[in-house]
Amino acid sequence: MLFQFNAQNQKKFEELLSHYPTKVAALLPTLWLVQEQEGNISFEAMEVVANLLDVSPAHVYSVATFYTMYHLKPVGKHHLQVCRTLSCALMGSENLLEHFKNKLKINEGEVTPDGRFSLCAVECLASCGTAPAMMVNETYHENLNVQKVDQILKELK
Amino acid sequence: MILEITSGEQEVLPGPRLFNMAKIKLKIDDREIEAEAGTTVLEAAKAVGIEIPHYCYHPGLSIDGNCRMCLVEIEKIPKPVISCHTRVAEGMVVKTQTENVKKMRNSVMEFLLINHPLDCPTCDQAGECRLQDYYMQYDRIASRFAEEKVHKNKMVDLGAGVMLDQERCIACSRCVRFCNEVSKTGELVLANRGDHVTITTFPGKKLSNPYAGNVVDICPVGALTSNEFRFKKRVWFLSKTESVCTGCSRGCAIEIHFEASKVYRLIPRFNPQVNSYWMCDEGRHGFHFVNENRILKPTKNGVEISASMAISYLAGEIKNLSPASLGIVAHATLSNEVLSILKELGTSLGTQVFFSRNEPHNPLSDHFLMTKDKNPNQMGINHMGFKPLSELTQGQSLIVINGLSKKDGELVTQKKAKVIALFSANESELSKNCSLVFPIPTFAEQNGHFTNGDGLVQAFKAAFKPRGESKEIGVYLHMLLAQLEDKKPRVAFGI
Amino acid sequence: MNAPKKQLVLTNRVGIPDSHTLAVYQKTGGYSKALSKTFSQTPDGVIEEVKNSGLRGRGGAGFACGMKWSFVPKNTGKPTYLCVNADESEPGTFKDRLLLEKDPHQLIEGIIIACYAINCHTAYIYIRGEFDLSYKRIHKAIEEAYAQGILGKNVLGKNYALNVYIHRGAGAYICGEETALLESIEEGKGQPRIKPPFPAVVGLFGCPTIINNVETLSALPFILSEGATAYKKWGTEKSPGTKLFSVSGHIQKPGVYELPLGYSLKKLIEENCGGMTAGKKLKAVIPGGSSVPILTAKDVETMMLDYESAIAHGSMLGSGGVIVMNEDVDMVWALKNLTRFYAHESCGQCTPCREGTGWVDKILYRMLHEGGTNEDLNLLTDISHNMMGKTICVLADAMAMPVLSYIKKFPDDFRNHFRRTGSSPRAKVI
Ligand SMILES: Cc1cc2nc3c(=O)[nH]c(=O)nc-3n(C[C@H](O)[C@H](O)[C@H](O)COP(=O)(O)O)c2cc1C
Ligand code: SF4
Ligand code: SF4
Ligand code: SF4
Ligand code: FES
Repeated sequence: MLFQFNAQNQKKFEELLSHYPTKVAALLPTLWLVQEQEGNISFEAMEVVANLLDVSPAHVYSVATFYTMYHLKPVGKHHLQVCRTLSCALMGSENLLEHFKNKLKINEGEVTPDGRFSLCAVECLASCGTAPAMMVNETYHENLNVQKVDQILKELK
Repeated sequence: MILEITSGEQEVLPGPRLFNMAKIKLKIDDREIEAEAGTTVLEAAKAVGIEIPHYCYHPGLSIDGNCRMCLVEIEKIPKPVISCHTRVAEGMVVKTQTENVKKMRNSVMEFLLINHPLDCPTCDQAGECRLQDYYMQYDRIASRFAEEKVHKNKMVDLGAGVMLDQERCIACSRCVRFCNEVSKTGELVLANRGDHVTITTFPGKKLSNPYAGNVVDICPVGALTSNEFRFKKRVWFLSKTESVCTGCSRGCAIEIHFEASKVYRLIPRFNPQVNSYWMCDEGRHGFHFVNENRILKPTKNGVEISASMAISYLAGEIKNLSPASLGIVAHATLSNEVLSILKELGTSLGTQVFFSRNEPHNPLSDHFLMTKDKNPNQMGINHMGFKPLSELTQGQSLIVINGLSKKDGELVTQKKAKVIALFSANESELSKNCSLVFPIPTFAEQNGHFTNGDGLVQAFKAAFKPRGESKEIGVYLHMLLAQLEDKKPRVAFGI
Repeated sequence: MNAPKKQLVLTNRVGIPDSHTLAVYQKTGGYSKALSKTFSQTPDGVIEEVKNSGLRGRGGAGFACGMKWSFVPKNTGKPTYLCVNADESEPGTFKDRLLLEKDPHQLIEGIIIACYAINCHTAYIYIRGEFDLSYKRIHKAIEEAYAQGILGKNVLGKNYALNVYIHRGAGAYICGEETALLESIEEGKGQPRIKPPFPAVVGLFGCPTIINNVETLSALPFILSEGATAYKKWGTEKSPGTKLFSVSGHIQKPGVYELPLGYSLKKLIEENCGGMTAGKKLKAVIPGGSSVPILTAKDVETMMLDYESAIAHGSMLGSGGVIVMNEDVDMVWALKNLTRFYAHESCGQCTPCREGTGWVDKILYRMLHEGGTNEDLNLLTDISHNMMGKTICVLADAMAMPVLSYIKKFPDDFRNHFRRTGSSPRAKVI
């Protein structure tokens, strides 16, 4: 089925267009809106977005692949993004990442077979003072250690 | 000299002031030079023969400034600047040959080569690769790169006959800019970032525009190659001749690349009045008739005979006909020179000259180069005042030069006219049915001029000698007129 | 110089419950004195005040704020734009996030002041995609401001219109570079533009544009309400005022500290932050975010937190991201962590950056895992020099400068990774 914004998001999309003097300027927020609705951004959706904004699908593709937060493939219900940059690394984020890999039996960029979790390492989350940190979907979890992480995993259904 | 009225911020003098195209004086490598205001340092240098190495700069595209090969030093500017983007300024002192500049070029070369597969022996671009050229000049040292290269896809069929080797790409974005700015179709992009940047189309889509072949020409390395040309020939074996495309009335300036009477490819040649740096794919691929399907010997009823014999037969036929019952059919693909010979012939024989032409077909035309008129020299025909074949009289006998369109062929049949001789380069239905057939050279084998749709006259040159026993029209007609004793040639037909 | 006890510039509301709400903001003096002073002057008057305050950009480069504003050409017939740089992604920096989460109205008030000064009626807040709470707070704050007539057709009933929109990034450090930020809004792909032209003249949608950091703008309400002189009470002559320092690493009390510029780095670490954790010794400090040259423990002794002292110590104040490392840290490992970051974040346009970041990262990986040679150090040094000052933006320099400084300041850490036997694997000839 061809991608389509639902009624609510269609309204949001039209509102977005009013923010800019050109259509293409709404590209990033439009892709966000697609991801909010679908969980990821499929090629079909990219073509639809290209059409909506009067740009080539290839342009949309190049933009979507330039950023790390747009998911071109589905991610887990809980997308674990562990910060790996210096301040978090100094506070042990490498161990955390290993812990997740062992516990969930997946590598970075993979999804658990039940689709509950996906794992990736990300760059500095601006949470260095509360390192190590991670994001689960859009929520920050800070001052982590193995016990805390296990607790978090347990609570995530 | 142009006259320019000063205004705005400039000092206002009483009355108009003379400017020599607002020339700016600057110094490049200790040479005092003049350049027009607004030119870049790279262009100004080029104009006086100083070549600044570059990859991403292309005169027909916007400036992107990404390759950093053209860095130069300019006095009073603390950091090196890219000459492709920096505009000339009065009193500027540019240095393109200092140790520092050379080191910068070396380092850019080194950076470009670290992830490059260096498969020159199997690369089709070898011989015309900017990376190889500059490498010979600048780097040429043992690689200091001991790590694993970034791997990407090596044989990607982009579509439109263009093959992509992502590992060879140096991310100069020329092809991307071409698709955005020239063909305006936007199929190519650089996806991802960092050293993972990759030229690609949208997944599942193809490069598909009628000008796509140009990306192969402008790719400075062997990342984009043409399916048609790939591996056919090492480029250093090829010779080049300036020519004009015969595909339509645009008359794009081209180069013929050939070896031993065989054309390997056509590429566009810069002509700011006609095609800039570009040509369409249809024109680009439209050279096979030079190599294939050629008539190489005169024939009578399908039997090979000598040219002089064939001419004698033709002379014999002509003698039996009244001038009014004879006609000549010129073609809108013939050069101005041939057309005027035919006009002369018509006058000396007292016969009418008609014309035939390639019929338009899809794609008809667009807003860029391709025109609806698929003949390179309809303008030449118009200038000669030749008549359309619809004015043919019943039962006329015709000497046809370079074929008849389908429509004209039908007209000939309708009017019960008869083609008594055909002069043609290529075999056709007509050549099979015509009793007397004379081989003539294609545009690649002769000098001449075409007048394009805008009235611009352009020269094309012979790349090689006429193939087989084909002879230029003028030669045949000279022989013919010699045989028609009572009708002496009034001109020497340019031979 | 002592840390001022009470009233500061930027963080006065941090710690007050619901400090992010309009009610609390207004109760604590927001949207009144600063704005009435602003609107009672000409735009040029506001620029003058900001120039007098000596406020320097807090996004990293430290460029004089009022001066930058004065570059905006007048009467171009085109709109002027303000872009708020809330892309905070410099490793070690987390101060803008604090301002966005705790005091979004202070930022909005700063935006109004800046826009009035540069005659701008549309501002975009470019916020990094990961900042969800910040996004929600600033979004809500904007809604509140519109509802109260603080933003919109008539700002505070004046004949002055201002719209503020949020533009969310999507995970790319380079979008914090100001021209990449503009590209990211305009075309989607955040690749820096060649300068000149500078954004103040040709910026967003081809129009004059000012890009300012969140912290820079958040200082404006104070400067306008209390005056340039009050602001200059803090700091040094060349680096006046206060600045936020994000402190992380092996210290007792990491966090964001608002300090007068010129404050002692040693004091910050030992007193404000309670010293090192686990009784370890200090080894190295990055004083201004990961892109600046590193300092040794000895440098820390004398370094003051102002732009000039940082330069005198061979580093830079940058974004004020202070990363503290103890004696156990292998500087090759630390550097390798950062080179991966830059290789991952290079936008990929310029040859030296696209290829150089990855190359350096691979060499360091090999050093860490297989051991290196002295030749590798020379190579790292040479590659860094070949990257510096030759690219469209300074991301290449932002990696090259640290590489050079780590090698220079901690050569022994690199030597520890030299292979004991065998020669270099490098002899391949092309
Ligand atoms: C690679 C790179 C990343 C940057 N990231 C940021 C950033 O995240 N936030 C920021 O405010 N400035 C960042 N900057 C600096 C901006 O380019 C710009 O100087 C700043 O936003 C100007 O605002 P200011 O004058 O108020 O400091 C970055 C610069 C570079 C070269
Ligand atoms: S494919 Fe060729 S033209 Fe296109 S970016 Fe790569 S090197 Fe440049
Ligand atoms: S536009 Fe016409 S003349 Fe030009 S290349 Fe195409 S066919 Fe040939
Ligand atoms: S220096 Fe790096 S990040 Fe900056 S424009 Fe060039 S490639 Fe992009
Ligand atoms: S030619 Fe100037 S940067 Fe590429």
